[in-house]
Amino acid sequence: MKLPKYEDITEGYEIPSLTKEPITQLQLVKYAGASGDFNPIHTIEANAKEAGLDGTIAHGMLVMGMLGQAITNWAGIMSVKSYLATFKSMTKPGDVLTAKGTVRKKYENEDGKFADCKFSIEDQNGEVKVDAKVTVKF
Amino acid sequence: MLDFLYEGKVFDSFTYKVERCKIKELAQAIGDDNPLFYDKDYAVSQGYKDTPAPLTFPTVINFWGYPEIWKRMSEIGIDVKRLLHAKEEYQYIEPIYPGDVLTGTVKVDSMRSGGLMDMVTFKSTFIREGKEALTAKMTIVVVAQGE
Repeated sequence: MKLPKYEDITEGYEIPSLTKEPITQLQLVKYAGASGDFNPIHTIEANAKEAGLDGTIAHGMLVMGMLGQAITNWAGIMSVKSYLATFKSMTKPGDVLTAKGTVRKKYENEDGKFADCKFSIEDQNGEVKVDAKVTVKF
Repeated sequence: MLDFLYEGKVFDSFTYKVERCKIKELAQAIGDDNPLFYDKDYAVSQGYKDTPAPLTFPTVINFWGYPEIWKRMSEIGIDVKRLLHAKEEYQYIEPIYPGDVLTGTVKVDSMRSGGLMDMVTFKSTFIREGKEALTAKMTIVVVAQGE
């Protein structure tokens, strides 16, 4: 895994995008167990309908995790200093999500060299699921 | 109705030990095949001490380490059946590794009640060996039932 160099990135630089496999109901079951979020609207259709939904929806945190994968593929783990996500819309089984990002600003100060990046993850119809701001230290 | 007496309240601390398998399990559930999370030798070759936790691992620490959060939310007056996750924010001070023992503390950071929705932010602070390693903020909203 090659980490980006501060000198090689520019403001407006496009971070490699990542397209995920379609989300499956089984994946939501696995994610519930992995994360400990057992809210049944994600795993049991009857509970989702009782809550007024058409069917189960993905955990927002799973979608944030998929966007996190795109961040880590590019910058690793220890370079990432902050990750702020805003949840925009619901994700359903069958959706195919694509994460992308752009470097918005690069700067140096007494603590080092940084880039502020904007990321988003959207579905096959271009509906944005999560918007994020990420700060990377070089 | 939110009970604003909870604003600023700090709940009891909890301890969470980071297991190697839990790191792999989260990465697998996300479908993230980065060897950093599975292969210690590879992670070390990349400058890490061990396989680091994925970026969204703090949610695992919170839900498995402090499942009481659901009960606390109900006490505050949040309708947990109708809550929506609005925001999640992480500040990473140092990577989290297998074997780390973290002390977590959840605080009710802010509460707001508008005409149409309630909004509550919880802030979790995680301490490792006396030093802050990570902070997480979760904001949830409950939209008023209009019908």
